[in-house]
Amino acid sequence: MISDPYKVLGISPSASNDEVKRAYRDLSRKYHPDSYIDNPLSELAEEKFKQVQEAYDQIMKQREGGGYSNSHSYTYGQSNYSGGTEDENVKMQAVYNYINNGHYREALHVLSGMSNRNARWFYCSAIANAGIGNNIEAINHAQQAVNMEPGNVEYRNLLNQLQWRSQRYQSTRMGSGGGYDMGNLCCDLWCADTLCECMGGDLISCC
Amino acid sequence: MFGYVNIYKPELKVKDYYKYRAYYCGLCKTLKEKYRPLGQMTLSYDMTFLILLLTSLYESETKVEQERCMVHPVKKHNALYNEFTDYVADMNIVLTYYHLLDDWQDEKSIAGLAGTKILKRYYRKICKQYPRQCNAIKQGLEQLAACERDNENNIDKVSRCFGELMAELFDYKQDHWGEKLRKIGFYLGKFIYIMDAYDDLEKDKKNNHYNPLIQFSNEKDFDEKCKGILTSMLAECTGEFEMLPCLIDVDILRNILYEGVWSKYLKIQNEKMHKEGIRE
Repeated sequence: MISDPYKVLGISPSASNDEVKRAYRDLSRKYHPDSYIDNPLSELAEEKFKQVQEAYDQIMKQREGGGYSNSHSYTYGQSNYSGGTEDENVKMQAVYNYINNGHYREALHVLSGMSNRNARWFYCSAIANAGIGNNIEAINHAQQAVNMEPGNVEYRNLLNQLQWRSQRYQSTRMGSGGGYDMGNLCCDLWCADTLCECMGGDLISCC
Repeated sequence: MFGYVNIYKPELKVKDYYKYRAYYCGLCKTLKEKYRPLGQMTLSYDMTFLILLLTSLYESETKVEQERCMVHPVKKHNALYNEFTDYVADMNIVLTYYHLLDDWQDEKSIAGLAGTKILKRYYRKICKQYPRQCNAIKQGLEQLAACERDNENNIDKVSRCFGELMAELFDYKQDHWGEKLRKIGFYLGKFIYIMDAYDDLEKDKKNNHYNPLIQFSNEKDFDEKCKGILTSMLAECTGEFEMLPCLIDVDILRNILYEGVWSKYLKIQNEKMHKEGIRE
């Protein structure tokens, strides 16, 4: 992790996405290994090049934080799978482990062999399906978990996370006259609003 | 192929429109010169998008040439070429080869048989150069055929066959950007498959052909549901795209991904509304 990726790219944290990309392009061109063949500075340049690459990836990942591509943002209250037999509790533990390590296919395999399909089961199935790119099934199962336990904030958050890119896509389309690069503040605000709404509050009253 | 991944002309700047057309012409000319006589017939807009995307990402050197063509014989215009034009032309031939093979096996179409005979030679040569991609195309289409045979109801499961194939084609260099390119290709591939199913729905219903959308086509909110599914595919696709450092031609790329891809859906919607209007 780079402590200040914006400093590496020489831009301010309020820079738009396209500004980040421009800075990345300029610097990666400057330090590109191809320009330093047989040059005593080649090692230094290569190190710089890698740093620029890493800083760029880090910023983009941070800005995309609302998406579920970041699998580590899931937390598990591991005792919530109740009503299962001893055998099923063991299976559920395996599912948690697989998901935490990004082995979504294995998680789905274990899940498919379980007969007690409670809200927790649908929640885990949604995460694993999202992990392998089954985005329709993921949303359906997250919705199912919410329907079964409407008061569960964790399930609702997952559903919001899974729908968040769709909502951003649609709002980008609607605002297409004003340019696509609306920066990150609007998205953050909008996302915060959605999350607040799900907990009963509302940050932006019009949406 | 399908032609769903295209520009939305009214919102594109004139200079961008000409640039897009130049990429398209470059692909057309390459197909014509490399793969006579059928090459040009295999042309589709979907694959032009891949040339634009890879060119924007890798900022490769692009050659401009003045060309005349059959469609516009009087005026000369620009055609753009680079390494990706060649690559995409090759992939286009492989896809068409399998498409024709499928036509021949399904419908005993003589044109299909004749086409495969001509393309087979090219296909073999391309497979030697790009075994990874050609295998993925073969496998993806086989899995797709199996899903269709089994009347698969799970839309994710059917559409991902095409998605995985596209993921492999998009991941041209297998480098730092590979993972993101794969996801863009994957979700765009799923989108294309589902859009095609939506497009063919009435025809498939009438002919009693497999179509993964038939299962809920009588539900009241069918169109909305399809729109939601298609949106979800494009949302994942653009989510990855926006993380790539693409600056060149980014207005064209966004025009395609946010607007152009909806042209067919909107056309179908309009036709439906028109029909209902007449009925009333």
